[in-house]
Amino acid sequence: MRMDGLDLLIAEALKDIETAQNLTELNQIEIKYLGSKGSLQAQMRTIGTLPKEDRPKFGARVNSSKESISQRLSSKRTELEGKELEERLNKERIDITLPGRAFPIGRLHPLTLTVQRVKEALIGQGYEFVDGPELEEYAYNFEALNYPEDHPAFDEMMTFYVDDTRLLRTQTTALQGRVMEKRKPPFRMATTGRCFRYEAVDATHHHTFHQVDVFMVDEGISMADLKGTLKQFASAMFGGNVQVRFRPDFFPFVEPGVDYSIFWEGRWLELGGAGLIHPNILESYGIDTERYSGFAFGLGIERIHMIQNGVNDLRLYLENDLRFLKHF
Amino acid sequence: MRLSVEWIKEFVPTEASSEELARTLTMAGLEVEETIESEIGPVLDITVTPNRGDCLSAIGVARELCAIYSSPFPTIPNGVIVQPKKADYEISVAIEDIDLCSRYVARLVTNVRSKPSPDWMQKRLIAAGMRPINGIVDVTNYVMLETGQPLHAFDYEKLHGGRIIVRRAHKGETIRTLDGVERVLTEEMLAICDADHPVAIAGVMGGEEAEMNDFTKIMLLESAHFHPISIRRTSKKLNLRTEASYRFERFVDPESVGKAADRACQLISECGLGDVTTVLSDEYPVKIAHNRIIFRPARANTMLGYNIPKPELTKALANLGFESLGEQEDHITYSVPSWRPDIQREIDIIEEAGRIIGYDRIPERLPVGVTTQGRDTPIGKLSAKIRTGIAAVGLQEIVTHSLLSPGKMENDYPDGQRIEIRSALSSDLSGLRRSLLPGLMDVADRNARRGHLPLAFFEIGKVFHRTDQGYEESLAVGGIMAGAVAPRSWVRDDKHSDADFYMAKGIVEVVSRLCSVPDLQFCVSDDVRFHPGRSANILLGGKRIGVVGELHPELRKLHSIREKICFFELDLERLIDAGTKKQVFVSLSAYPVMVRDIAPRVEESIPYQQVLSSVKEVMPEILEKIEVTDVFTGSQIGEEMKSLTLSLTFRSPDRTLTDAEVNEALEKIRANLIQRCNARFAG
Repeated sequence: MRMDGLDLLIAEALKDIETAQNLTELNQIEIKYLGSKGSLQAQMRTIGTLPKEDRPKFGARVNSSKESISQRLSSKRTELEGKELEERLNKERIDITLPGRAFPIGRLHPLTLTVQRVKEALIGQGYEFVDGPELEEYAYNFEALNYPEDHPAFDEMMTFYVDDTRLLRTQTTALQGRVMEKRKPPFRMATTGRCFRYEAVDATHHHTFHQVDVFMVDEGISMADLKGTLKQFASAMFGGNVQVRFRPDFFPFVEPGVDYSIFWEGRWLELGGAGLIHPNILESYGIDTERYSGFAFGLGIERIHMIQNGVNDLRLYLENDLRFLKHF
Repeated sequence: MRLSVEWIKEFVPTEASSEELARTLTMAGLEVEETIESEIGPVLDITVTPNRGDCLSAIGVARELCAIYSSPFPTIPNGVIVQPKKADYEISVAIEDIDLCSRYVARLVTNVRSKPSPDWMQKRLIAAGMRPINGIVDVTNYVMLETGQPLHAFDYEKLHGGRIIVRRAHKGETIRTLDGVERVLTEEMLAICDADHPVAIAGVMGGEEAEMNDFTKIMLLESAHFHPISIRRTSKKLNLRTEASYRFERFVDPESVGKAADRACQLISECGLGDVTTVLSDEYPVKIAHNRIIFRPARANTMLGYNIPKPELTKALANLGFESLGEQEDHITYSVPSWRPDIQREIDIIEEAGRIIGYDRIPERLPVGVTTQGRDTPIGKLSAKIRTGIAAVGLQEIVTHSLLSPGKMENDYPDGQRIEIRSALSSDLSGLRRSLLPGLMDVADRNARRGHLPLAFFEIGKVFHRTDQGYEESLAVGGIMAGAVAPRSWVRDDKHSDADFYMAKGIVEVVSRLCSVPDLQFCVSDDVRFHPGRSANILLGGKRIGVVGELHPELRKLHSIREKICFFELDLERLIDAGTKKQVFVSLSAYPVMVRDIAPRVEESIPYQQVLSSVKEVMPEILEKIEVTDVFTGSQIGEEMKSLTLSLTFRSPDRTLTDAEVNEALEKIRANLIQRCNARFAG
């Protein structure tokens, strides 16, 4: 009779566990059967009524029942916990299509981005960058660059003068003299910066614009070195394997002087001026022109960006409309 | 310069189309900007570089084509028909200043008839962009376009004494030029004078007094060579540019002076505009020597970068009119044509040969050899770092120009003088910026008016000052912000706070950390551009290197922005100088931190700086960091009082701290705050 009672109790407990719906129910079941006032404890208390020889056996049975019930409880608990977590996570679902928190983010100006690309390309080719002043001396902007006195070449350089000897540089080439008076060849130099010319502002002209200027002096430098360097530079800037074309042009500081174009996306695009550094300039800095020669080339930063991005109005760069700036 | 193709072809034996001619000329250095259709066929618009005055004519352009096509050189047509009748007139020409005039040819034409030039001539002039005037004027213009030699016609009977004197003007001499303007000449200007006074400004413009008119019977035709620099200076000084001065300042071939006069006489005769007489004068006191230059074919190959056979080089040069005076084993001595003063040394000849042979043959090669290490400038590197840093906190970079007009914002700038542009053409471009503020303000305002947000911009650029020491140019970084800098968000707890003084100051602190300059000081500023209670001068080592503040409401009124406008500006060059010190590494402590808060209550007038230094003064070695985490004001803590919450982090490099020693440090700090700042502590 007692044996049957314990068996029944176990069967009842296991059934209760099996049908428990949630952790709260399961906890109540645990208390009901295994708690200090629970059914199994009650069974244990009846041990005193048994004959002495039966007591150990009965005790062992109650204990093993306890164990199997608590094992069952534990596995059921794991099962229910998993289920409840799943339900909770399901309830915590959010609309992942709403935008994220709005962090402010600034961008760099397209001219800065272009200068960065120019620098990357030229530094990779071994060019050292130097800066020159925007408020430049007449001597560096013109005289040192082999501009003949009162020459019509000045007509192409409408200049902002501050006084008789100071002006706003019309070209970054003005740096050449500053470098050559301090350094001996060989060298490969480059500079970027702002230039000024008195021009009426329209879609292709501005009184303020930016240039990159590159020059090097070494033994045996020729027009072929210039062409190859321009090809490599233009390929780095515009991508692909661009073709370079020279056309004779005149700049007092180079001889031969050319303007160069690249063949890009099916057409020839004029990029800037170039040539071999005029021997008059090299000689004025004590460089032996029988041993050394050099080349120089320059181009507009705006021009590079306009070609790369199909921008058709130079004025946009200094206007700083946010729609334009955010585009790049 | 515009020239009809049929005119050019008169001198070049070629079947080439106008497109081919345009391409050939462009690739040889005479850029054809466009080809225009006209009554007499296509017209080329050619840009001639300033060194090539010799190409400013049909014959000049034809010479280039002939050199490329290996055709014989074109020559100026001649065949003057001289009336056998001897004229009863004489001309006397005297060149007094032979340094400015090396040749002067004068010819006399009698029975001048006032009638229009022939149709074919008018058509060529019109195609070249010139207006036909009358027979004589048209002939002089026509010959100038054909030969490059400007001519001038005087009414002989109006020349006092029948004389021409070429001399520098006397001080104070005046002349009324053909454009009706009375001009005062200076002693540097060359004048064509009669026996008494100037009748023309040499090479620039004639005078009204000896001008030809419908009643002129006898004409004196002038063809001369004037010194290019003299003509250029005179024309610039008088602000008078003419087709003649344009050509003279680019050098006109002295050896064509006579031929051009003859050509004009031929046309005058053929067109029935007058009788050309035998009376002529050709003063040629200074023969301009042809340059002699030694040319080494091997050197040409070195410079051009590829091997050109010697015969090919010499052929190209011969085609251009270079005359060999003798050939040695490794060099040839050349005589340069009289029309090419731009050819001065060997490299110029190399260029000539190279361009006629064609630059397309130059191969592509990369320089080899030891050279400099490629790198950016130190300031370039630092600017890049700062740009990225400021953009990362939400400001958009802009680039504005450095020239600006004087305005309220500019005038109020406290430091130095503005550098003015001499004889500025417009007030908008009359001086250089001393501060980045006006440019940043303009951009913020423009975007605000267009409804673009956020208004948060920065710029890195040069600013300029005139000081007692001269001109100063330095690189500055500046930023402006107004209203909400962060974009609007649907997330409710995202702070949508408007720009204020502390936002601008925060960015200054970001910049100083990026430059490794931690010890900037901020002190009250009297810069009138800013709110007097919400602006600060930024000092480094006691020197002012910048400013931060809220714009003065009076300045804000000038613009469309309603919110507070905050601004900062820093001298980057001073920062880089200070930031180049190497940072010494101190090994990291392995022991834990203890963080304690204290909340001193002080009078509102006591600046945080004073509280901070009172904490630092105690300087227990174990105090690692001080942060202010709250500033509270309100009636609960008393009128004109504020409560600061300071979070103090303690750590030792060599042991785990105990509660007791941290408490002791805190006690000392509290005591000092009470003493120095009259602070009170709750509880």
